[in-house]
Amino acid sequence: MAYVQLVVLFTSAALIIIGLYAAIFVDNIIKKIIGISFIEEGANLFIVAIGYRPGGVVPILMPGMDTSWFAANAAYPLPFGLVLTSIVIGASTLAVMLALVMVLYRRYGTLSTKVMLADTSKQEEYNE
Amino acid sequence: MNELIPLMVIVPLMAALLISAFSKFNKITKIFAFVVAICLPIIPLASNYGLHYFGGYAPIMDNVTNVMFHPAITYSFTFLQQIFIAMVGLLTFLVIFIYLNKYKEVSGPYLFLLFLGTAAVTAMLLTDDIFHMFVFFEILALAQVGIVAASSIDYSYEMALKYMILGSIGSPIMLLGIGFLLALTGSVNVTDIAAAVHNGLVNVTSPVFLMSLALIFFGWLYASGLPPFHTIKSGIYSKAEPHGAALLQSFTVISMISIVLIMFRIYSSLPIFEVLIVFFSILAMVLGVSLALTQTDFRRMIGFLAVGELGFIGLGIGLGTQFAITAGLFQALNEIMITALLFIGFGAIVNATNEVDTRKLGGLLAYHPKVGIMLLIGGMAMAGVPPLSGFQSKLMLVQASLSCGFPELSILAIMVSIATFVVFIKTFYAMFLRPKPNDLEVEGKEVPRSMIFAMGVLLIIIILLGLFPDAVTSGISNFVGGIL
Amino acid sequence: MLEFILMFIIIISAILALIQKDLLKAAILTGFSGGAVAVLFQILLAPDVALTQAVVSAVIIPVFIALAVKKTQREDS
Repeated sequence: MAYVQLVVLFTSAALIIIGLYAAIFVDNIIKKIIGISFIEEGANLFIVAIGYRPGGVVPILMPGMDTSWFAANAAYPLPFGLVLTSIVIGASTLAVMLALVMVLYRRYGTLSTKVMLADTSKQEEYNE
Repeated sequence: MNELIPLMVIVPLMAALLISAFSKFNKITKIFAFVVAICLPIIPLASNYGLHYFGGYAPIMDNVTNVMFHPAITYSFTFLQQIFIAMVGLLTFLVIFIYLNKYKEVSGPYLFLLFLGTAAVTAMLLTDDIFHMFVFFEILALAQVGIVAASSIDYSYEMALKYMILGSIGSPIMLLGIGFLLALTGSVNVTDIAAAVHNGLVNVTSPVFLMSLALIFFGWLYASGLPPFHTIKSGIYSKAEPHGAALLQSFTVISMISIVLIMFRIYSSLPIFEVLIVFFSILAMVLGVSLALTQTDFRRMIGFLAVGELGFIGLGIGLGTQFAITAGLFQALNEIMITALLFIGFGAIVNATNEVDTRKLGGLLAYHPKVGIMLLIGGMAMAGVPPLSGFQSKLMLVQASLSCGFPELSILAIMVSIATFVVFIKTFYAMFLRPKPNDLEVEGKEVPRSMIFAMGVLLIIIILLGLFPDAVTSGISNFVGGIL
Repeated sequence: MLEFILMFIIIISAILALIQKDLLKAAILTGFSGGAVAVLFQILLAPDVALTQAVVSAVIIPVFIALAVKKTQREDS
């Protein structure tokens, strides 16, 4: 395993851990969402690192390349295709979450999760 | 006609996009949605069994190693997929029928979400590709959040945001699990991965393989609402509109069985896999029923009972023999219909009284006798009273756990069914039978005809499946024999 | 050598984004981290993914977060 791959794997692990910490322990809802986007980025980075080949070439067949040489040296393109889909899904999920936050801010006037997402059954009892 | 297989996903997906684009034209939208909804259960029944390769890339045989590779995204369509897709299509049709009848001005985005969810679960059932399943798992989560947020019930936005935050923690974790599998085998096709595992190309005791099991299992727990996600799952059922909740629970059941069947094909050689499934199923059964007993909001009560019923499906699949898995899948089919019936029926009561607290209700049998009797039969089917369909599947589960050598599990299953019966009858008594409280004002509102029609259709299927279970179980048993 | 620099940029800007008091600065720092990940994709021989990541993570997501911050409040209290 090349050291590039090791560095990338370490980065992705760090991103996932930072993101999980933010998503679970930070109170501000927008920072929670930023943390979630870090988790997604870490997972994407991990999957791209699978397809890397040390000393290889970009998996695009240019005119004039020998096919067997290309097959032996190109990186594995399947994970790259998967990550393309996953990046777009992550962005759309984030947009929906931010829209919900904007609606809820109008009702509560704060971004604190403790106020906004308190146990709804208790809120109903409180209203009675 | 194998060409119909991709159409099962394409038709609802295209309908969703067209409806949301042309939602200005109210009448055309209504007619179009109705026509598409009728087509949904018909397409799978008219289609032939078979495989569909997207792009026409047929499997390649490697001459050196004699291993088959699947380069295309593959859809496999067998009896199991046919019966479940037809059932979801029927349920979507009923829900859209209720929705179109209830509102004069239909909302395009809401119909978009309903069709999108149906397309997503259909693709999850059909696909043989683990990343394809993950993509539709995400789309399904978005559709579920939208259906919850679109309801007019208080605190639905909060519940939707909570579900979404948990979901967007759960789905990258599942993606990581898929990444580990991809790193081990170099493929995302389930047939290829299973072949690699069973031919010994992958070391099944390696920590990477176990880690991928743990990560995908976490995603499965989130998708199916087993503990520790049972509270949020029953919460989103209670915050959605009743007909939306009827569809949401069918999405949950189908995503649960489609993911667990994929996991079963890959990980069945690991003994810890089956232990994990049985453990979480038992936890779901016990927690679901005991939390349902303490609820005063009857929508929440049905939500917890639905989570408890999911445990029975997991129990059947976790036992791992052909008979047990057949029983679990048959239970899944029954639960889709029974819980949908209960949600629609209780939704009719909410419509008529605007009250969800069982302590403030009573004496409704005099006002809504048809709904009351249908709900009673539905609840009995859920608890497993003969000769309804819930009885047949639970009997099969008890027999399966006895023949596997776990009499404790069969005793537990019987006890949970009895507790389900107690919970349901307690709520039914409080709502329908006891004298009406003085401060309850029952307006002279009629229950919508469309709701009665939908409940009637579901009830007929429940009774027919209870009388002739062999029509379904023999086909499912053949399918299970193929994957074991 | 470049990967080490990128790794430090990604991790430090991620941590800084989470400890900012000003949410607008946090949004911009998220863009920094996303852009560095895009360069890392290029090093990993995936130029197509790098292009998408550069557009989505370095531009679209920070803009979305900044819009949400503008509609809500800027301080993390």
